[in-house]
Amino acid sequence: MTAPSNDGLEVIERTDPPPSQINDSIVALTAVGAAISGIVFAVTLLLGGPVLLYGSAMAAALLLLAVAVRRYFTAKYPDITAVEPRVPPAAGAGEEPITDVESVNPRRSFLGWLLAGAAGVLGLSLAAPVASLGPSPGDTLRRTRWAPGTRLVTGDGTPVRPSDVAAGGIATIWPEGDIGHERSSVVLIRLNVEPQTPTNQAWVVDDVVAYSKVCTHAGCPVALYRERDNALFCPCHQSTFDPSRGSVPTFGPAARGLPQLPMGTDDDGYLVALGDFEAHVGPALPRGM
Amino acid sequence: MTPLFAWLFDTLDERLGLRAPGRKVANKVFPHNWSFLLGEIALFSFVVLVLTGVFLTMFYRPSIEPVTYNGSFELYAGTTQPAAFESILRLSHDIPGGLLFRRIHRLAAHLFMAATVLHMVRIVLTGAFRRPREINYLLGIGLVTIGFAAGFTGYSLPYDSLAGTGIRIAYSELLSFPVVGDALAFWVFGGDFPTGDVIPRFFVFHVMVLPAMLIGAITVHLLLVARQRHTQFPARGIDGHRFVLGKPLWPAQFAESATLLLWIGGLLAAASVLIPWSDISLIGPYVPGEVGNNAQPDWYMFWVEGALRVFPALEFSVFGIMTISGPFVAGILIPGLVFTALAAYPFVERRVYGLRGDWHVLTNPLEIPLRAAFAVGTFGFVLIISAAATNDILSRMTGIPIEVFIWVFRIATVVLPPIGALLIYRYSTRRLERSGRTVAATEDEAMKPYLFPGPPTAESMARSGSQPED
Repeated sequence: MTAPSNDGLEVIERTDPPPSQINDSIVALTAVGAAISGIVFAVTLLLGGPVLLYGSAMAAALLLLAVAVRRYFTAKYPDITAVEPRVPPAAGAGEEPITDVESVNPRRSFLGWLLAGAAGVLGLSLAAPVASLGPSPGDTLRRTRWAPGTRLVTGDGTPVRPSDVAAGGIATIWPEGDIGHERSSVVLIRLNVEPQTPTNQAWVVDDVVAYSKVCTHAGCPVALYRERDNALFCPCHQSTFDPSRGSVPTFGPAARGLPQLPMGTDDDGYLVALGDFEAHVGPALPRGM
Repeated sequence: MTPLFAWLFDTLDERLGLRAPGRKVANKVFPHNWSFLLGEIALFSFVVLVLTGVFLTMFYRPSIEPVTYNGSFELYAGTTQPAAFESILRLSHDIPGGLLFRRIHRLAAHLFMAATVLHMVRIVLTGAFRRPREINYLLGIGLVTIGFAAGFTGYSLPYDSLAGTGIRIAYSELLSFPVVGDALAFWVFGGDFPTGDVIPRFFVFHVMVLPAMLIGAITVHLLLVARQRHTQFPARGIDGHRFVLGKPLWPAQFAESATLLLWIGGLLAAASVLIPWSDISLIGPYVPGEVGNNAQPDWYMFWVEGALRVFPALEFSVFGIMTISGPFVAGILIPGLVFTALAAYPFVERRVYGLRGDWHVLTNPLEIPLRAAFAVGTFGFVLIISAAATNDILSRMTGIPIEVFIWVFRIATVVLPPIGALLIYRYSTRRLERSGRTVAATEDEAMKPYLFPGPPTAESMARSGSQPED
């Protein structure tokens, strides 16, 4: 397959492969091997065989076929190196109108702009349905599901007494009736040191204190309690908070502390919220703190 | 040609007139270099992604409604799981071929991103972005961006524990936009996190919108390469500004591409058999309020994750009307700046060196000091900040407190890229000075050392082993 010169292609090096019995054998063997592997793949998959078997058969089929194709082409065609001129695109060619459709009233260009402007305005208007994609945020993000008297419950709905929290222990707590509402999640900790400001002492019940579990950095659950330094630790970006000092941030990218849940006990001795958090939980809100 | 192919070709030729354009296409010359295969690897990974993705879509359920898993995998048998997670358990453990194609799909996504990013690095280093290829370069930057979105949405769909963490952080990133963040987050998520809408919406993007964008952009990308022809590395005796040196599409390039496609398919299948990639049954489903250690995203998101980890605590209000926070700077502004810098660089280089005309021959970045500095600075920054995303793993492996690693990465991210850029700038400037050269303003000038008088011929090629006439 030599290149005709009228395409501007010039062959500058050409090597014809010598006939090779070995190469032909390789092509034949790998092609047959690929076909057999393909059959093994299909049969083992259909018979419910293990993925290890049919997966390996599929891999073998594709790799063997790759070798077959490569060897087939190497032996069949000459190895050609050629040069071809770069033809720069003829910019500006074909400027003449094909038919006689030049504007006969050039002063009407204002109307053209008007038309383009109208189309643009219409296009922007058609973006209005984007607002239907979600509700208006309003003050949703400033409130959680905690209200005065809401019991603190565990993930399976069990209410909690202060004595249920072991020393140095930590539990994930939800508002009763809203288990799984992530922004309302709370960590309950029994402090093994005396709480200090800015912890609100009135909301500490028998050394047990509750903080929002939502990291004030990027909203991950502050899921880990590190006993060596009494730190609440967010595994996502390593924000670290001190629960004995109102959960102020002590290291990492968080800039605000975890809000403390106003907490007391009800007549049955279960922990309840005294109200919603006083500060908003989670990451910064886009307009003001 | 076998008679069958000949008959088929003649039949089509008589009706469509294929012979002349077909010969032109078959004769198209492709320059050869291993690094030119990176784009091809990305293309073929994408082919594998589409093929396996269609199969996965047959079984995936884009919903977080709780359903009971009744399949054969004992760990989860009889448990209630989000529908998305349950459907992937079923796909992986109860549908023949499901696990294999899911693993191949995940692995092909990694390969696609790796090949795409390396392809971009190759283009930047060698200067393939120069006029007349700026449009295709910008399109390529767009392709990388769409690739990130496709990868992230795909990572989210299983609704496993890691996906939940990723989605959570994505929500917080949207929320971090000053002034409009909450509206933006609610538009994308359909309300306050977590919502039932996010998985169906990510699904639509992952299986329809983003693949359509990728197919469209890849098609234009390839058409532009065909129209403007390949760049090539300089070859002695060849005026690369006016001629392309290489092997014709048929049969050499065709054989190479077909072989590469088969290799990629075979290696992906082999690796999927050997390694349990992204085994969600080990990770577990998304559980509200929980996140595990080792919460790493896919590697191509490490640089954003690392930025979030090392960027110091920052949150301030501007006149009480907008809040600028760490997640906004680290997760939105910094990645945005990197992409802007990449998009702007070709125009900066052209202006700084007063480059004129078209450029088709690739250059060693050390010949263009600004480019060497830009590449080392930008890619060095991205690499170091990516490494910062592994700080918890490093801390556990070495026993050194994580605070130490965070400070090391904070300093390294700020200090090392500029130092590296400066050093390589000085090195390449001196290298030019030593040989008495300057940065050439036109390609003809740049090509001088490689050229012999006259057009390229078999004779000039035969002499190509000899020294150029300086």
